[in-house]
Amino acid sequence: MGVPRYIAAALKWVDLRPEVDPLAGTVRHDTRTSGLSLADAAALEWALRLGESWQLPVAAITAGPPEARAVLRDAAGFGPTRLVHVAADRDAPSDAIARALAPLLAGAAVVCCGDYSADRGSGSVPAFLAHHLQAAQALGLTSLAPEHPGSLVAQRRLDGGRRERLQVSAPAVISVEPGAAQLRRAPLSGLLAAGRAAVETAAADQAPEYGSRVHLLRTTSYRPRPKVLAPPRDQLPRARLLALTGALSERMPPRVVRAAPEQAADQLIGYLTDNGYLG
Amino acid sequence: MAESADVVVAGAGPAGAAAALVAARAGLRVVLVERGPFPGSKNMYGGVIYPRVLDTLLPRWWEEVPVQRWVTRRATMVMTGTKALTVEFRGEDWDAPPYNGATAYRADFDSWLAGKAADAGAELVCSTTVTGLLRDGTGRVTGVRTDRPDGDIRASLVIAGDGVNSFLAKEAGLYEDWSVTHFTVGVKEVLALPREVLEDRFNLTGDEGLDIEILGGTQGIPGGGFLYTNLDTIAVGVVLSLAGLRDSGKRPEDIIAALKDHPAIAPLVRGGELKEYSAHTIPEGGMDGMPHLAADGMLVAGDAAHLCLASGIWLEGVNFAIGSGALAGETAIEAIGSGDTSAAALSGYRRRLENSFVLANHRKLRGAHKLILGKRAQTVYPELACGIAQRVFTVTDPQPKAGLRRWVHDERKRGGVRLRDIVKDGWVGWRTFG
Ligand SMILES: Cc1cc2nc3c(=O)[nH]c(=O)nc-3n(C[C@H](O)[C@H](O)[C@H](O)COP(=O)(O)OP(=O)(O)OC[C@H]3O[C@@H](n4cnc5c(N)ncnc54)[C@H](O)[C@@H]3O)c2cc1C
Repeated sequence: MGVPRYIAAALKWVDLRPEVDPLAGTVRHDTRTSGLSLADAAALEWALRLGESWQLPVAAITAGPPEARAVLRDAAGFGPTRLVHVAADRDAPSDAIARALAPLLAGAAVVCCGDYSADRGSGSVPAFLAHHLQAAQALGLTSLAPEHPGSLVAQRRLDGGRRERLQVSAPAVISVEPGAAQLRRAPLSGLLAAGRAAVETAAADQAPEYGSRVHLLRTTSYRPRPKVLAPPRDQLPRARLLALTGALSERMPPRVVRAAPEQAADQLIGYLTDNGYLG
Repeated sequence: MAESADVVVAGAGPAGAAAALVAARAGLRVVLVERGPFPGSKNMYGGVIYPRVLDTLLPRWWEEVPVQRWVTRRATMVMTGTKALTVEFRGEDWDAPPYNGATAYRADFDSWLAGKAADAGAELVCSTTVTGLLRDGTGRVTGVRTDRPDGDIRASLVIAGDGVNSFLAKEAGLYEDWSVTHFTVGVKEVLALPREVLEDRFNLTGDEGLDIEILGGTQGIPGGGFLYTNLDTIAVGVVLSLAGLRDSGKRPEDIIAALKDHPAIAPLVRGGELKEYSAHTIPEGGMDGMPHLAADGMLVAGDAAHLCLASGIWLEGVNFAIGSGALAGETAIEAIGSGDTSAAALSGYRRRLENSFVLANHRKLRGAHKLILGKRAQTVYPELACGIAQRVFTVTDPQPKAGLRRWVHDERKRGGVRLRDIVKDGWVGWRTFG
């Protein structure tokens, strides 16, 4: 990988408020509500902090449709020196994204990613990226502490509420949880300059395969996880069944709560509890 | 170090975007600052845009403007507790360019218009709030402060397009005569209906749309209502005098609920799923509530300048915002060109507004809000009109028809309406609208 020359933030452009048709399940996207997820924003913040701490320039890179350049402009407001867009489909598989990004990230001391993207991402892009870059990987980090250039200490969650601390050496790919950092607010001058910043468009040269013996055969379509609902309270099995299936019962019409704030809060909590959203 | 520009526009609503568009086209460096994540994201209104003002600003605008429906039918409904009398006009040529009106979502429309300003070279900065004015030792406005780090922007001219109750106009001391009576509050529900149901229900085909303005139906609070059709939603709401609402002790959502329960409205909104509830103040004092329009280094446009007509049966503001914004932009070009942005040099702004539909309409309709929000127009005349209409349309066999004169007389007596008041209001109405 040679001498680390810069820090990279690999950012994904996602729709943060997609509209899902409740009947057909089709998803409608809007570029205006698309941008950086909180995890990617945390990744960008850590890229900036590592850049400052190790005095290395920061580059921002994204793979996606042309609209994805918006996240690079957002990043440009904070001063990254290089902005790179790689053309890719919105729903391209993780390995394809990683293979497209890897050739452009050679020479990065640390590549910072969000732990997983807000559009049902699996969090595997950073892992594939580390594989293609032959770099260390430390994923799902909750906090980081840079040490001398090229070295950092990171923490991540384990099952059962335990944590593990990791010593990570560059070159490395890290991914961070949304809470790992809050992205600073871009200065006005940065924002204005961002509008004029040049974005490089890179061809999606695929990184070579390193003889992986696992090949993706097929991905099945998305099945939402079942939602656990509180069981109906009725005593009679028939009544419980009716309540569960909603048969013979009218659809609950939208209701406007009109009450003093305390009672309104009680009613809202009651509603959420009754409908299985709480506890 | 502070950024610098020729013009800083606060607010990328219709007024700000139009001002930025005009000024940027002339090659000025324009920074357009919007507090929302994108233009229109925070904005609400009833739903109809009257677009004549766009004809010169953006020729053939209709080929690209993001609209929901073209308004081909406009109706005014006069309402009492249980009755309603509707006058509806259908304009066939309203369904073709240059169109008379369109329903549109603000998130779409404002983004589009601000996008035009950006295409013309204005620098649009979102998620950034203007927090105050920069001034020099003489008190002259020299730029704005924002909530960004290093967020000051110096400018030869600041245009306040930050909407009703403009903090910038207030800070500049331009609102001299502020009064709660100059404001109404608009509350609105957006209800979703399947497109076919909506089109069947309102008798619409293709992209035709209907707008209904309502007089009465506000539980005795001075104001009015509206119902507009979008593609697969309807917007239903009320505009209420702030002082009237306060004195009534009622809550705005209850007034909308009552309007939706009215027998004339209930079948139209039945089954609609509530998508959105929003509320916003409206400057409706017209000329009476208008602030000074210019200070040294600053102009005020759109709702910030109280350029809005929202007196019961009208809901026009976006057109006045665009018109005044564009004229503020023109004034900016002239003033910056001459190197003088003092209040005196900016007086051309008012002259431009006077010579345009913006102030001409406000001047003409100056007394309209008082007339329309008055007790007689709000409750007495709707009762009278509905009562007379009921008699006209009731078949009284075997009694012969009494005739219009008799019906009017009887209804007038029943409602205790004095002929003097009708003549007086008719005269004022004629002078206002004639
Ligand atoms: C209920 C209701 C119904 C209406 N119906 C209609 C209708 O059907 N047709 C019609 O033509 N008009 C209607 N109007 C009036 C119309 O909405 C306004 O007249 C029009 O939006 C005014 O435009 P503007 O650009 O002056 O202000 P706004 O549309 O209010 O835009 C102001 C912009 O400034 C931004 N801003 C505010 N403060 C700051 C700050 N400090 N820093 C940065 N940005 C800031 C806001 O986010 C906003 O984008 C209605 C109004 C209401 C409330």
